[in-house]
Amino acid sequence: MKKYFSQVTTIIWKDFITEIKTRELFSSMFIFALLVVIIFIFSINLSLIKASEVGPGVLWVAFLFAGTIGLNRSFMLEKENGCLQGLLLAPMDRTALYFGKLVSNFVFLLIMEIFTLPLFMVFFNIDLLPHLLPLLYVIFVGTLGFCAVGTLLSSLSANLKARDIMLPILLYPLIIPIIIGSVRMTGQVLAGEPLSSMMNWVSLTLCFDIIYIAISIMVIDFVLEE
Amino acid sequence: MSKHIYSDSSNPVIRVQDLRKDFGYLQVLSGISFDLYKGEFLTVFGPNGAGKTTLIKILSGLTRPTSGSATVTGFDALEGNVELRNNIGVISHATCLYPDLTALENLLFYAKLYGLDNPEERANLSIKEVGLELRRYDPIRTFSRGMQQRVAIARATLHDPSVLFLDEPFTGLDLQATSELKDRLRGLHTEKRTILMTTHDISCGLEMCDRVAIQNRGKFSLFESVNCIEQSNFKNLYTKSIQ
Repeated sequence: MKKYFSQVTTIIWKDFITEIKTRELFSSMFIFALLVVIIFIFSINLSLIKASEVGPGVLWVAFLFAGTIGLNRSFMLEKENGCLQGLLLAPMDRTALYFGKLVSNFVFLLIMEIFTLPLFMVFFNIDLLPHLLPLLYVIFVGTLGFCAVGTLLSSLSANLKARDIMLPILLYPLIIPIIIGSVRMTGQVLAGEPLSSMMNWVSLTLCFDIIYIAISIMVIDFVLEE
Repeated sequence: MSKHIYSDSSNPVIRVQDLRKDFGYLQVLSGISFDLYKGEFLTVFGPNGAGKTTLIKILSGLTRPTSGSATVTGFDALEGNVELRNNIGVISHATCLYPDLTALENLLFYAKLYGLDNPEERANLSIKEVGLELRRYDPIRTFSRGMQQRVAIARATLHDPSVLFLDEPFTGLDLQATSELKDRLRGLHTEKRTILMTTHDISCGLEMCDRVAIQNRGKFSLFESVNCIEQSNFKNLYTKSIQ
């Protein structure tokens, strides 16, 4: 078990050190999220629609699209120079590779989301500070589910010719329950409701997180096979 | 969990029996069988599309065959065995190195993945062995193709594997780099280590091997000891075999 965790942390270490050197993933995701928020702010008349009603949707669309860029890039890096083959030849359980990539993707996305929140707050003129803790919880749960299924599908699409197109086509239908849950919870959090009043959405999102992680553990061996 | 049956020199290190692999309607391997013993060096020649890379991928547990069996150091290669991967090293034209990481970081990464003791020491030692200690803090993307291939050898032999699979290792190398790689491979060919190499380079391949095979249309049309072959006539033999 110690060896397993060591392998997971080694993959995370490698992803972080690569990102620190290149800054490719964070910069592309953050700029994309920022652009989505800016496009929406110019296309929505906030004097007619309440920002707290439309804001959660905009926020999650930005997270979703920017996150897809990150997920696509995640396994593309492994394909360069045949590195994925090097990982598959290492004496480790392939779930260790999945969890390593999942944690890296999850942390990169969370960082991008944390940087996007203040800009969202300024552009939509919504004070997030009173709701920060429940909002971070919602983002944590939603992003975990997104990364759980996204990491699995990005490993699958990495072996496909039309990988850039295939990832969103495969991913978006599967994350609909998580995104609906996350948008609803974010809306209710911004309306000042406590998390206890939205336990149905919290449970639904958590259930899908667990289901997607469990499925990924079961199928990752077959997905990574050449 | 598969049983480890490899114990002495009487058991073949690599045993392949009636191995077949289909990709849809395309039959890539159509019944390959051979045994390779401890310390032997087999070179497999064959035209593009003969199934040489597929054979190595199956033996290293990267791909499952359609039928047949293969054991490497006693472990069933078809199960994608973790223990099997501890005993093999694979070098191909793809270096499996991260271009943005330094040579040392790449080796350290693989040393940790393989769970080696003192990974820093092993990584430093390996890079010294391939003569690149002065470039160890440089990113891989700044290395020439030959230097990258030397780091790839260090990567594949970090854990001192008893079996090495070399899939066209000379691809893209100039004469100097080919000569250096040959020297390094000769150094790796010890009594304890079994090597299977695929290549198009007839002189390189024959020079280093004990056994030679010609693979064509998914089958071995020749599998002989190199001593039984007239090397000057091998090119003609190869041309006839693949016709």
